[in-house]
Amino acid sequence: MSFLEFLAGRWTEILGLTLEHVVLVVISTVAGVLIAVPLGLAITRIPALGRPVLGFAGVIQTVPSLALFGLLIPLPFIGGIGSRTAIIALVLYALLPILRNTVTGVRQVDPAILDAANGMGMTDWQRLTLVEVPLALPSIFSGIRIATVVGVGLVTIAAAVGAGGLGSLIFRGLAMLDSRLLFAGAIPSAILALLADAGLAMLESRLVASRGASTS
Amino acid sequence: MTGVAISFREVTKSFGDKRVLDRVTLDVSPGEVLVLLGRSGCGKTTLLRLVNRLVDADGGGVFVGGREVADWDPVELRRGIGYAIQGVGLLPHLSVGDNVSLVPRLLGWNPDRRRERAAEMLRLVGLDPREHGDRRPDQLSGGQRQRVGVARALAADPQALLMDEPFGAVDPIGRRSLQEEFRSLSRELRKTVLFVTHDVTEAFRLADRIAVVADGGIRQVGTPGEIADAPADALVRGLIEGAA
Repeated sequence: MSFLEFLAGRWTEILGLTLEHVVLVVISTVAGVLIAVPLGLAITRIPALGRPVLGFAGVIQTVPSLALFGLLIPLPFIGGIGSRTAIIALVLYALLPILRNTVTGVRQVDPAILDAANGMGMTDWQRLTLVEVPLALPSIFSGIRIATVVGVGLVTIAAAVGAGGLGSLIFRGLAMLDSRLLFAGAIPSAILALLADAGLAMLESRLVASRGASTS
Repeated sequence: MTGVAISFREVTKSFGDKRVLDRVTLDVSPGEVLVLLGRSGCGKTTLLRLVNRLVDADGGGVFVGGREVADWDPVELRRGIGYAIQGVGLLPHLSVGDNVSLVPRLLGWNPDRRRERAAEMLRLVGLDPREHGDRRPDQLSGGQRQRVGVARALAADPQALLMDEPFGAVDPIGRRSLQEEFRSLSRELRKTVLFVTHDVTEAFRLADRIAVVADGGIRQVGTPGEIADAPADALVRGLIEGAA
């Protein structure tokens, strides 16, 4: 039986797992954005937050993902086997790139522009919303893009804690020494990562082109 | 609205161990253009920034229209004072027109009135609102951007204008015409203008009066004629002769 025939026989399963995969990536990235962007903006206002928060996110990043999934399992409430544990770990991994790009994006704003914004009498909130966030947007967005692409890869490993997704095919393939199963999981996962990267890159360039089209 | 008086009384300011202003006293009359002239690092920019509280004094007082700036809410104070700087600081993600009408927007003017005001201000500085109003700042030349900076500073009809080397980034020819236009504009509007420059020629071209600043103090205040005829000391003489 050729690989294509093998795929043809299992395409509904593969499609279902792909969908599950996408849902896990979307949920964890959106949650990551909702936490990391406000936190990153807070760091630009309260610099004392920077070291502990970025430090924590950095340490998480250094923990191998399989180990982090494993470490979360015995924890009460958040742990256990299943997609909930996986999502928590995925969100933790999404934090660092988004946090870092939010902070650098805001810090990179031209000081002359900030001086003019202060000098014309903007409140801190106005400066944030009218000047700093719009100008940091491309950087924030590229952080989100990195987090998404990394997330697609991490979700395959999350199958180890029973999260589902294309990783379950890969793990099954490994256990049964069946390379066809392995590829049936790995190839769609790689395609997803490429599509996510290209799609978000396209969105990003449109965002830059239309940035702040007349806001009045 | 015509201008208000700005006064500095025994103002002192240090950054860390470095004293940048040492008991400076200076009066700017309503409606006059006073140029703070001095080399870089002499304290002239700090003096300017004291007026809209981008910097707060360590000692002494700064008064705008008779009221001490320390008693104002900084945000409110700044919205009543136009501010134009070198490098202009236009917001790159907003159109030229939206940049000009930023302070009116902060003041809560409605969009129609803002658009009208932006067009009026652009015409005032010699730009065509229909041609330039919808463009992005990076689609303008350096000189045009500086004009937009001036238009923005004037948009909310402020009682005073603070300008820190606002024509610094333009080529000499463009600079000359900007200076001449600004001269006639400031005569016509009768705003109080505090203008910082290190360029002696620019100071003599624009000023009703010049204050020569050096080492955190004011060496001489007078009309361009007075300063040229009778420089107060060797430093002032050196400064003017260096430019001649």
